[in-house]
Amino acid sequence: MATATPAYERVKVFSAAIRIFHWLRALSIVILTASGFYISWPYLVGADTTDVLVQGWIRYAHLVCGFILCAVTLVRAYLYFFSKSDIERRSFQDVKNYRSWIIQLKSYFWIGGLEHKGVYGPLQYVTYLAVTLLAVFMCVTGLTLYANVYHQGMGGALWGAASWVTEAFGGLAWVRILHHYVTWAFIIFLVIHIYMAVWMGIRFKHNAVDAIVSGYDYHPKHTD
Amino acid sequence: MDTHAALFEQGRQRLDALRQLPPRQQASLKDKMLEHGFTRREFMQWSAAVTALLALPLPFSSLVAEAAELADRVPLVWLHLAECTGCSESLTRADTPDLDTLIFDHISLEYHETLMAAAGWQAEENLEHALSEYHGNYLLAVEGAVPTANNGVFLTVGCKGKTGLELVKEAAAGAAAIIAVGTCSSFGGVQAAAPNPTGAKGVHDVIDRTVINLGGCPPSEKNIVGTLMYYVMFGRLPALDMFNRPKWAYGARVHDNCERRGHFDAGEFVEEFSDHNAKDGYCLYKVGCKGPYTYNNCPTERFNGHVSWPVLAGHGCIGCSEPNFWDDMADFEKPLGRQLLHGLDASADTVGAVIIGAAVIGIGAHAVASLFANSKED
Repeated sequence: MATATPAYERVKVFSAAIRIFHWLRALSIVILTASGFYISWPYLVGADTTDVLVQGWIRYAHLVCGFILCAVTLVRAYLYFFSKSDIERRSFQDVKNYRSWIIQLKSYFWIGGLEHKGVYGPLQYVTYLAVTLLAVFMCVTGLTLYANVYHQGMGGALWGAASWVTEAFGGLAWVRILHHYVTWAFIIFLVIHIYMAVWMGIRFKHNAVDAIVSGYDYHPKHTD
Repeated sequence: MDTHAALFEQGRQRLDALRQLPPRQQASLKDKMLEHGFTRREFMQWSAAVTALLALPLPFSSLVAEAAELADRVPLVWLHLAECTGCSESLTRADTPDLDTLIFDHISLEYHETLMAAAGWQAEENLEHALSEYHGNYLLAVEGAVPTANNGVFLTVGCKGKTGLELVKEAAAGAAAIIAVGTCSSFGGVQAAAPNPTGAKGVHDVIDRTVINLGGCPPSEKNIVGTLMYYVMFGRLPALDMFNRPKWAYGARVHDNCERRGHFDAGEFVEEFSDHNAKDGYCLYKVGCKGPYTYNNCPTERFNGHVSWPVLAGHGCIGCSEPNFWDDMADFEKPLGRQLLHGLDASADTVGAVIIGAAVIGIGAHAVASLFANSKED
């Protein structure tokens, strides 16, 4: 290999907005999960004084992060459709093409390489879409629970919609139960997501872990 | 009060109209109170308390007092379907019968299977007479769920062997308003719990009309009498929430007005019954209290003449006034994070942990295999 040509090429993958919202969402999901498990089963011991509202502050963190997740979910949906770069939108072509599915599934089992039109593989795309829809579900049920607790201001403004959702679920109990169950989908997703991102970087030298921080994919130049 | 002027006028007109009707009780409420040793002062206190309960301004207490006196002008038909009579007991079996009980006595109760003297054919005749005589005017209260499977034969009442389904449809046809007293008639209750072999349903599911749902197993005597008073006073239904429960009674969660709420926010919980935290009156959330998602006024109204209520007595709320509470709120002594998935004997979190474990094992296997797989690109 000639030394004059750089061994790596640099491709811009993720815009600053996508990166910022990714990490904001990741942070909020982690805090929401930890605080959510406390709300469902208060595992910390009280402070032995009613001056320190342990549950109150944890609930506060849960609400703040919940609103962040709602906002990020909205903004990301907007960015998907209207961002300048169509790198995400292009991936939909792979979803529609069954050959792309076979290529990606084979690649997971160490057969063949990768071939994407956009930034995501078809299975990856569908998984992210499902996680987004689950995030929407968590936002709707979360806001319903919120409006059932805080009756003024924003909770009051949401009350009409919240009581409709409560009725549709057959009572607040099921809103809460499903809000709790779906949390596990995020935990399972998180573990697999991190593994896949790292594994892809190692096997195919397309390191999304790098790209979601720096925005760039540093990829060895093809010599063949 | 300005905001309520129209409502006051409506009540005024309604009571004036009722006064023209003949009383159906021999003794007036005043005589009955004298006989039972209630003073006028106690009666006015009761009127003011009911006014506050209904979230009305104080001047309405004169209307409430008048409505109580005129309650014997409004015929009431009370049906018992698939139930335990606990709701009637809630009203009538207070160890010290109070004004609520007395006023329930005073209401023109045309038919009530527990309280009437008649039996057999005579009872049936009373019911039929009431339904035809007061057609379009009587207030119908239903206690108990309606079994609907196999055309309702799981419940037959009376010497003619009518099914509960037939009875409630017949009675609802001529009712001026319908009140479902208790969780069973509101949402099916325990009878409607899975697998629900009798197809038990709430009254609103079998008739095509608005039914006021008074959830609770039982609802407090205050909520029953308050609803009756509201109807006597205004001749119409109160403001209702998404499950057709009166907002004045079911507008807030049990959690919102709970006396142990401070301990909840402070993160101070009873870990198990009879531990030191329980003696200190800490929050019962970790031993399964469903107050955070149950709508009722138990903490403020309590039961048995304001003596006590479950959380005061040291057990969490079991959510008995919510739809499908027997299935949805179980286990009653475990919070959501420790609830068992019924039939699996495993909590959701255990299931989640097993799935995550399987995912981790899968990832590990894949990673190890990757070490041995030939790299495609290197």
